[in-house]
Amino acid sequence: MAMSIIHRATGIANYAGMALLAIWLVAAAADQEALNLVNLVYGSWFGQLVLFGFTWSLVHHMLGGLRHWVWDFAAMMEPGQRELMAWATLAASVVITLLIWTVFVWMA
Amino acid sequence: MRETVITPASIANPKTHYGDAKASTRHFITQRVTGLINVLFLGLLLFIVVRLAGQDRADMVSVIGNFWIGVPLALLIAIAAVHMRNGMRDTLEDYFAGSMYRLTMLLNTLFCLIVGLAGAGAVLKIVFWG
Repeated sequence: MAMSIIHRATGIANYAGMALLAIWLVAAAADQEALNLVNLVYGSWFGQLVLFGFTWSLVHHMLGGLRHWVWDFAAMMEPGQRELMAWATLAASVVITLLIWTVFVWMA
Repeated sequence: MRETVITPASIANPKTHYGDAKASTRHFITQRVTGLINVLFLGLLLFIVVRLAGQDRADMVSVIGNFWIGVPLALLIAIAAVHMRNGMRDTLEDYFAGSMYRLTMLLNTLFCLIVGLAGAGAVLKIVFWG
């Protein structure tokens, strides 16, 4: 139940977040001044906070989608297995997100 | 989208032909296939963002301008836009009906078209015109 809501919420967050990617790419295609503005906003503490949330949202939605892919083969559907997979995707999404930011942002 | 009231009985009774057998199956398969392709998209996106976040235009053009990075990226953005529209359709179907559903679905299509075309278009512009 909660995982279904989170899957939908992260899906909607990714939906909005894709606009951020489009804005960045359009600015890069346009000129240096537009790109400077985008880099300033995305590089600010608030921009970084949003991008961190976007990262988790993308990772979690991906793992949730893969979970659905497993269910499509009628596997892992028993009580206990479902809860295990729910907790596994939740834990994995947090770990993968922290790994990405630790390796590529905080330690880079 | 039907205007009649939906009851659990009308859903359970196969004779009401509740839902659209062909379109719903197509949406389901489209969503699963585009979703799996999106895993590749996230991989490429991670590479692009890690490599180019905060960099200047010349650096972005040198990486995205590579044909074998730019064209797959543009293609994957377009596929992601299809997945976005399809996923938002599921949400809209749950909360809206009739003309309100058609209006929100129109806005959904417009948003995904704009994001997809702007994103993929910007990448292709960088690939072919720098």
